Amino acid sequence: MAVESPQITAACVEATEFMELSRRYRVSGVPKTMVNGKVEILGAVPEDEFVRQVLSLDA
Amino acid sequence: MALLSDEDRQVVRTHLADLEHDVRLLLFTQTIGGPDTALIAKQILDELAGLSERLSIEEVNFVLEKERAAAYGVDKIPAIVVLRDGEDTRIRFYGAPAGYEFMSLVEAVILAGGDDSGLTEESRKLIAGVQEPISLKVFVTPT
Repeated sequence: MAVESPQITAACVEATEFMELSRRYRVSGVPKTMVNGKVEILGAVPEDEFVRQVLSLDA
Repeated sequence: MALLSDEDRQVVRTHLADLEHDVRLLLFTQTIGGPDTALIAKQILDELAGLSERLSIEEVNFVLEKERAAAYGVDKIPAIVVLRDGEDTRIRFYGAPAGYEFMSLVEAVILAGGDDSGLTEESRKLIAGVQEPISLKVFVTPT
């Protein structure tokens, strides 16, 4: 998604190395995606669903 | 001792054979007093860089080059910033790219080195309409 839009930044965070950050976002299972630090997407979801969830912030 | 086996190296080399763009990985680290994972990240990237002529690594000191870190929004280390022909792809990796994250890094290099995001036409259209910045953080573990 990041390569498709100059507005999007995508970071892959190794949860066990950054415990403080993981605790802040209550990461208890992976993969867990945080969108703008607010919206949570749990697990590996299908592409169309993932895109819709990420973009719902824009609405 | 090499972190990648000969077999892994061959598989990755094959995957990286068709890069159309130059990909540069900026590794933000701290030599003295930095986390051990930064050393592991450095070793993994050095081994990876040898697998494609299109791929290069640049180590950036997080402490001495604060402005550069800030320019890329890097606030913790080890951090990897993926560049395509010198331009930011806005893809980041935080932590040593071992295990599962290594494959994700290889995929990111392939993505940056090509012209196809692999997303569906519908996804592309939706994403093209994004007007506000979106920050995605995907939490993963090596296993």
